[in-house]
Formats: sequence, C-alpha cells, structure tokens
Amino acid sequence: MTVLVLQRYLAVGAILFVIGLIGFMTRRNLIVLFLSTELMFQGIAVNFIAFGRYHMGQGFFHGQAFVVFLLVIAAAEASLALGLVVLLFRRRNTLDADAWRELKG
Amino acid sequence: MLSLPSTFSLLAASVLSPVTILILCVVAGVGTVLLLPGKREATIRWIGGVILLAALLIFIALVVRQGAGQRGEGVYFWLFSGIAVISAIRVVSHAKPVYSALYFVLTVLAVAGLFVLLWAEFMAAALILIYAGAILVTYVFVIMLASQAHSGATGQPAEGAEYDRVSREPVLASAVGFALMGVLLFVIFEKSEGMVRGGNAAVAGDAASEGGAVRALGAYLFSDQLLTLELAGLLLTVSMVGAVIIARRYVAEGAGETRPEVIVSPATPLDDDPHSIPVYGTRNPVAKAYPET
Amino acid sequence: MENLVGVKLAYLIPLLPLIGAMVAGFLGARWLKEKSHWPIWIGVGLSAVLSFVLLFGMIGKWPGRAVAVQKPGEEASLTTRVLSTEFKAMAVSVNWYQWIEAGDFKVEAGALIDPLTAVMLCVVCGIGLLITIYAAGYMKGEKGYFRFFAYLGLFIFAMTVLVMANNFVLLYLGWEGVGLCSYLLIGFYFEKPAAREAAKKAFLVNRIGDFGFGLGIMLIFVIFGTVSFFGNGPGTNSGVLELAIPGGNFLGALEPWKRQAIPWIPFLLMVGAFGKSAQFPLYVWLPDAMEGPTPVSALIHAATMVTAGVYMIVRCGTLFVPNSAAMFTIATVGTFTAIFAACIALRQFDLKKVFAYSTISQLGFMFAAVGLWSPVPGIFHLVTHAFFKALLFLSSGVVMHAMLGHLDMRKMSGLRKVLPKTHLLMLTGCLALAGVPIFAGFWSKDEILVSAWVYNKGIFLVLLFTAFLTAYYTFRLYFRVFQGPVMVPTEPAEGHAHGHDEEHGHEPVDEHLQGQAHAAAEHSHEPNIMIWPLIVLAVGAALAGFLNWPEREKSLGGFLGESPSLILAHLATDARYNAAYVLPVPFGAEEIHDAAVRRQMHSDHLKVALLSILAAGLGIYSAYSLHLKNRSRGEELVARYPGLTRALEAKFWVDEVYQAAVVEPLRGLGRLFYAIDRYVVDGFVWLIGFVPQLFGFTLKLSTQRGSLQGYAVTMLLAVVVILLVLFL
Repeated sequence: MTVLVLQRYLAVGAILFVIGLIGFMTRRNLIVLFLSTELMFQGIAVNFIAFGRYHMGQGFFHGQAFVVFLLVIAAAEASLALGLVVLLFRRRNTLDADAWRELKG
Repeated sequence: MLSLPSTFSLLAASVLSPVTILILCVVAGVGTVLLLPGKREATIRWIGGVILLAALLIFIALVVRQGAGQRGEGVYFWLFSGIAVISAIRVVSHAKPVYSALYFVLTVLAVAGLFVLLWAEFMAAALILIYAGAILVTYVFVIMLASQAHSGATGQPAEGAEYDRVSREPVLASAVGFALMGVLLFVIFEKSEGMVRGGNAAVAGDAASEGGAVRALGAYLFSDQLLTLELAGLLLTVSMVGAVIIARRYVAEGAGETRPEVIVSPATPLDDDPHSIPVYGTRNPVAKAYPET
Repeated sequence: MENLVGVKLAYLIPLLPLIGAMVAGFLGARWLKEKSHWPIWIGVGLSAVLSFVLLFGMIGKWPGRAVAVQKPGEEASLTTRVLSTEFKAMAVSVNWYQWIEAGDFKVEAGALIDPLTAVMLCVVCGIGLLITIYAAGYMKGEKGYFRFFAYLGLFIFAMTVLVMANNFVLLYLGWEGVGLCSYLLIGFYFEKPAAREAAKKAFLVNRIGDFGFGLGIMLIFVIFGTVSFFGNGPGTNSGVLELAIPGGNFLGALEPWKRQAIPWIPFLLMVGAFGKSAQFPLYVWLPDAMEGPTPVSALIHAATMVTAGVYMIVRCGTLFVPNSAAMFTIATVGTFTAIFAACIALRQFDLKKVFAYSTISQLGFMFAAVGLWSPVPGIFHLVTHAFFKALLFLSSGVVMHAMLGHLDMRKMSGLRKVLPKTHLLMLTGCLALAGVPIFAGFWSKDEILVSAWVYNKGIFLVLLFTAFLTAYYTFRLYFRVFQGPVMVPTEPAEGHAHGHDEEHGHEPVDEHLQGQAHAAAEHSHEPNIMIWPLIVLAVGAALAGFLNWPEREKSLGGFLGESPSLILAHLATDARYNAAYVLPVPFGAEEIHDAAVRRQMHSDHLKVALLSILAAGLGIYSAYSLHLKNRSRGEELVARYPGLTRALEAKFWVDEVYQAAVVEPLRGLGRLFYAIDRYVVDGFVWLIGFVPQLFGFTLKLSTQRGSLQGYAVTMLLAVVVILLVLFL
C-alpha cells in the first residue's frame, strides 16, 4: 500500500468525520445529533484501519483492535444516549436540542 | 510499492495545492449551506446538492489526476467511498430522521466495503453486525417511538417537526466544518511525505494475505489486549445497566425482606424540577432534602 | 559579686514564674482547675526566695564604704573626685545568650544585677507572692481561674525581665510584656463591656507612651551604636549609660547632628515613662483599669508595673540628668500630676477609684523626686508605696468581697464592727498613705519633700498641699466606710461574681433581709488566705519607713547609692543637684563632718517633717469634721461650691478633652482614609477588575447561550485554529 492510497483513505475518513461534525452542529433533532456522532466514528474507524493496513506488521492489528474498542464505545454510547434521549423527550415532549439551554452562567 | 517522494511532492504541489483545496472547500461549504434543511424551497436545496456533488467530483478528479501513472486502487474504492460520502451527506441533510438513519446504514455498508478492501474482513463483518444490525435498529425504534408520540400529541403535519426541517446556524457550522476539512486535507496531501512505515510488513502481510488475518487478529486480541478487551466488555455491561435504569418508567424499591417491590413514584416526573429526579435508596425520592432547596 | 548564689541563679527569677504561667495556662483548663494557683505560688515563691537570697547576698558583700567628706563650696569637687578615682560599683552584668544579632545591632539577653535591681526584684517578687496568695482566696470559684493565674505568672515574668534587663531592648520586652499582661488582666472580665473598654483604653494610651519609648531606644542605638546599659560591665566605658556622661571622649567624637539629637533622648524615654506610670496627660487609663480584679489593681496598677517609669528614669539617670530641661519637665509633670490626681480623688466615691487617683498622685511624688534628681527618695517612696497601696487595694478587695461587690462609700458605713480585722489593716494603710509619723509613707514622703525644699520651694509647696489633700481624702474614705453608724448594702452589686453562691449555698437569700448588720456579718467573713498576706503587707506599711533610717550607715539609701546607675548619674549631674544630704549615701549625708552643713541638714529635715506632720494632721482633722463628726457639713460644703464640685466630679473633663482632641480627630482621619481607600484605591482596583469582567460579560452574551452545539462550534473553531498554527 502506497502513501498515495493511504492519502485517499484518509481523505475519505476526514470527509466522513467533517460531515458528521457539520451534522452535529446544525441538526436540532437529538437523535440525528447522535447519528452524526456515529458518522464521525465511521470516519475515525476508516482512518484506523487504513493506517493499520499502511503500517502492516503489529500495526495492522493495532488499528483493528482500536476499531474493536471504538465499536464497543459506540455501542455503549448509543445505548446510553438513546436512553437519555428518551428521558429528555419525556420531560419536554420534544426532541429539539434547543429546548435544553440551561447550560450557561 | 513504488515510492518516489521527490516527483510525488512536485506532482502534488501542482495539482492539489492548498489554494485548490481552499476553493473546493468554500464551494462545498456553500453547497452544504444550501443543501441543509431550512426554510428554503426544494429547488434551492437541489442546487446545493448539485454544487456539493460537483465539488466532490472535482475533488475526485483532482485526486485521480494526482495519482496518475501510479498504481492506485481499483474501482471498488471509488464506488464504496463515493457511496459512503454521498450517503453521509444525506444523513446530515435529510429532513426526516428515519431517512437519515437509513442513509446511515448505507454509509456503514460502504465503510464495511472499504474495510474489506483494507484486508479487515472481520472488522467489516463486525461493523455491519453491530452498526447496521444492532445500533441502527435501536435508533430507528427510538425515532419511531418519538415521532409517533410527537405526532400523536401535537398533530404535526406529515413532513415532520419544525426542528427537523430547520437547521441551526448552517453558515457558521459549515464554515467551521469546512475550515477543518481544508486543514485536514491539506495535512493529508501536503504533509504526509515524511510519514514512516513501521513494523515488519512482510511477515504480517504474509500472515494476513494467507487468509489467516481473522485468526491472527483473534489471537492478538485475546492475548495482547486481553485486559482491555475484558474492560470493554465490562463497559458494555455497565452501559447496559445504566440504560436500563435511565429508561425505566417506574422506580421500584424493595422495602425490607418481607415486602415485595413497592412502586414509589414515576422515574421521570413531567414537572421540570431537577430535584425530583429519583434518588435510589430513599423512600420518597421527591422529599429528599437538598441543601439548596 | 559574680560568685554570689543569687547572681548565679538569677536567671531562675524570671524563668520560674514563666514556667509556672505556662503550666497554669496550658494545664489549668483541663487538669489543674481549682489548683491552678499552685504553679504560680511555687514559681513566684521561689523567685521571691531567690530575690531575697540575692539581696542579702549583696548586702553581705556591701563594703559600707567610707566616702570622702564633702565641704560646702566645693560642689565641683564631687564630680572631679569620682572621675579621678577608679570607682567600683556593686554591679555585675551577666549575659545569658545572644538574643538578636543583625549587623551592628546586637542584643544580649542578660541581667544587670546591682542594688537597684535587687531592691526592685524583692518588691516585685515579694509583693507579687503575697498578692498571688491573696488572689487564690479572692478569685475562688471564678470562671477562668487558671487564666488569671497564668496571666499573673506571665506578668511577674515580664516585670522581672524589666527590672533585670541589662539593655534597652530587653527592658522594652519586659515593658511591653507588662503592658500586655495589664491589658489581659484589666480585661479579665471580658464579658463586661466596661472591662473591655478599659482594657482597650489602657492598651492604646500605653501605645502612645511606648511609641515614644521605642523611638527613644532607636535614637539611642543610632547615636551610641549599642543598646546595652553598661556593656561588659560598669567601668568598661562600653555601655550607653557610661558613654552618655558629658565630658567623655565618646560624646566629643560624635558627629554634630548626633550630638544635637542627644537631648531628645530623655524626652522620648520620658513619654514612655509617663504612659506606663500614668502621669499627666497619659494617666487616663489607670482609673479605668480598676475594672480588673482587685489583686490586679493592687499588683500591677499600684505596686509594680506603674512604677516601671520611675525605675527606668533612675536606671537611665546618666541620660536624664545632664538635660536640665528634661529633668525640670519630669519634676513639673510629676508635681502637677500629684496635685491634679489628688484633687480628683477628693470627690470620688468608689473605693478603688479613690485609690487609683491616689496612686497617680503618689506616682507624681516619685516623678517629682527623680525629676529633682533625688533617686533614693524616689525609689524609697516606690518601695513603701508598694506596701501600703497594695495593702489598701487588697483591703478594699476584702471589703468588696464582703459587701457583695459594692465599693461605693455612700452605700456603706461603720464597717469597723463588721470587718474588724480589715478595719485595722485598712487603718494602717491609710495612716501610711496619709503620712502619719512612724508609718512608712511618712518617711518616704518626707524625703521627697526635703529634696523639693532644697531644690525648688515652689514644688515643695505644691507637694505639701498635696500631702494635705492626700491625708484628707484618705481619711474621708476611712471615716465614711469604717466609722459611724453601721450600714451595709443588702443587694448584690451587678456583675458581682465571687462564688458566694457556692460558699453560702446553705444560706437562704431572705436571711440577708432579717437585719442588715446581721446579714452582712454572717456574709462577710474575712478568709484567712486573704487576711494573712494583708498582715504581712501591713507590717511592711508600718515599718518599711525604717529601711532608710537617716544617718544610719547601712540603709536603703546607702545600698542604692552603690548602683552604677546612681553613681554615674552623679558624674553627669550639673551643679544644681549637689546638696550633699539629699544625695545617696556614698556622696552625701553619712560622713558630713562639716558642722554648718550638718546644722543646715538637721534644720531642713526638722522643718519639713514638722510641716508635713502639720499637713497630715490638718487633712485628717478636716476629714474627721466633715465626714465623721457631722456628715451633713460635707454636703453643705459641696453645695456651696457647685462649679468646683462639678469639675472634680467630671475629673476636670480630661476624658472629654481627650475625646474631642484626640479620639474624634483620629476617627475623622480614619473615616477619611477609609473613604480614600474605599473609593479611590478600591475604585481603581475595581476598574482593573471591571474591564475583563466587561469583556467576559460580552463574550458570555455573544457565545455562551446554553446550546450544546454552540459550544461544539466554539471548540471546533479552537481546534481549527490550533491545527492551523501547528501545520501552517
């Protein structure tokens, strides 16, 4: 695998990550918010795997192991986040993130 | 496995210069702003989508042009990455959460394809199983639950809630986001020539190419990363318990050995008092005295 | 001298009371409780024993030196004689350790042991011991019993340091230490607002004096380069008190500005002495200090601490006597204070207040004496006064104890029958204070009057009149309280807390009302622990006058005359102060063979003694006629001079003048500074703080809107900026 190929995979990862980020910043639906973070996870996972493939050797497994843990985190995050979304939805009866603006001094 | 750093960097400078990346990012940003859900007409959003697509295509063309004459990757890479990026854009830009979720499944599938291209077959399978199979289903459930409750409660029109149809500060977010993208792409294409390659490529490459990659990964995970793996499992358990507790509708409290569970109060009262969040271990959670009350 | 047991063990004299105070203070609250007096009794008792060992050891070594005759008309020869002969004073300077060392500034912790110190130590520790014994009875059952005794021990420590110090800084330590203890003990009943105020007043007024004293010490160091009294010892010409003698090489070699600054030293030191010894105008704290427990009034505010100023002036005689302006100031202020305080005492009704003003007045006598450079009469009066004034205070303490806390002489009468022992003791004290012959006060006052007669007839007349007033107010008190029909207060005074409830718990209250005299007699016992020290003091008050029996070779005057401070001061004396027979013995009266001088001396002594007896008799008689024979005549007299009465009762409005002239301007100044601090300085600081606050407020309004995604945008922006900085 050449640097050239690595660059292309990294570019894909970066694009996915930034799209997720933009989604996180612009969308107001709490669920879509979390979907956007999952998108960011995808971008990062692509990066890890690509780097592992590029370095090969132990690095190959390092990259994949990282993605394993990334999936674990994503699953845990999704379960908790969705639980919280449900809780918040019950409180305000809306999924609008702008309904929760207490976080200021 | 060709590497000619000097010619490569020359070539890169001529094709994918920072200025080009900047212009592309600006164009893509404008497209994104137009594409994002808002109080605009559908045609304007279409125009935005076209602009974004055009920018993407130009970018792909530049990348291909940059790598001309070298051994690149097959058509599958372009296919999978194109699907991944376009469906990711749709995830973000679609006004209906259910469609977002479905597009996200598409992204996941495409990314899994990329993983296969990168010899990570196990990860590809895991990604599809976990993401497309488990997480996304949960998302869809929650979306349907919420939108059903919502439309049932307020009688919203079919096109969805206002907060789904109008995004917040698309200009600022796009500007910042594409600024980041510009920096990242610049770093990836301009600053990556000094990158060192570590490890014994031949050994692992052989092991992986022999089809024993999954076995080797398993051995690695359960020997070198055993503790981390167990901790990850523990984390999953904890989050599961947490999710159960958060989402429960009623608090049940065992009041001694002789009596069965007694329902004390709803877990999530509809009043907005933060102190009415149930506190476990007290008989009457609402009456729990806080210093500031 | 150096080999004396007393000198070798001298360091124990301050140390033992300090240890006692620490034991009582640290262990008293939890473990010793009602036995808290024991460490102090033991510590002060041992110190008293050591003091007397020291005194008698020194008396044993006293050569009883014969000194050359001084003839009239040969005044100058005195100075020349002492200068020419190699004098050897009875003194030793012991350095225990280097206390402070900073460049040229070196202070030893050490003692100067000479007759003056020995006498002062005996007074401090002896009377201190008697008063601590008395206090155990007086303070019985009080809250903070251990605290009281810890303070007493600390006071004795500070006072012994004061009189033993061999340099100015150590003297200052003791000086401030006694001030602190005085403050603590005046405010012993700190729950009483009056006591708190009195303690603060004492402390603040003393600050004025101590400020001057401190400046004086600094000036001394600047000019002399040392703060030691006698350096390595008298005669080595290395200490301040020797270098200050006019005509020496040191002063001649000084820079001009230093020579010009020297006359200011005595004035600065004098301010300290006036504050500590309650002289006009810094006397105002002493009457208020009577808010403290009576043993404190007796020990600190009558017998010992207030005499520190007198001691200090005598000790530093060589700094004072060359400066006739300073000496005249001291004499004048002392004289004025004597008559001024005596006048105020005329119209006081509180027993302790009368004695407080009397103390101020008697201190005025002492200052007049040292101001006329008659140190022996001054110190002699200090000693006798310590005896009889302590006796008077403690007796009034017994009266107060018995009269349920009352001290107002209008509320009691005829206590002779109720408190027979106290009556006799009080009578002894009154006789001594009034200056009735044989009793101690007569002799010492007489000597002061003789000095005044010889040096300044005006001062003499004022002091003689003061003696008359003293006799009058003393016996006014005596006749009113102890003679006449029996009358005792039945209701306890406010704030009277002497543990009578515990002692007389068996006695129902209404029994007090059955008959006044009976009730009071039942109530007012005279505890032995309080009476015995008084008997010792009474013996002293009666007989201490014989310590300085004139024309006896081994008398107090002769002994004190061996002190280097006194000897050297005479080298520095100008010719005005050379009347042989008022000087200490080595220079004076003992060997006056010249018949004319002897005749003169005898006639002076006789005249003065007769006049003084006459004054005392007149005073006692007027008190008798106005306050015993026909008490209404006193009131008629008061009614005839309403203006004078009002002035006396208002204490000449000195407190009000202080309020208007010192307190209010200072308070106004304080308000001004407060305003400047609050609005100018703080305003500036506030402005500095306000700018970032405003900035932050703007940021908060613009960026902090509580939206999670908004924060994400901000964070991302920061990440982009950081990446740009890193990679571009």
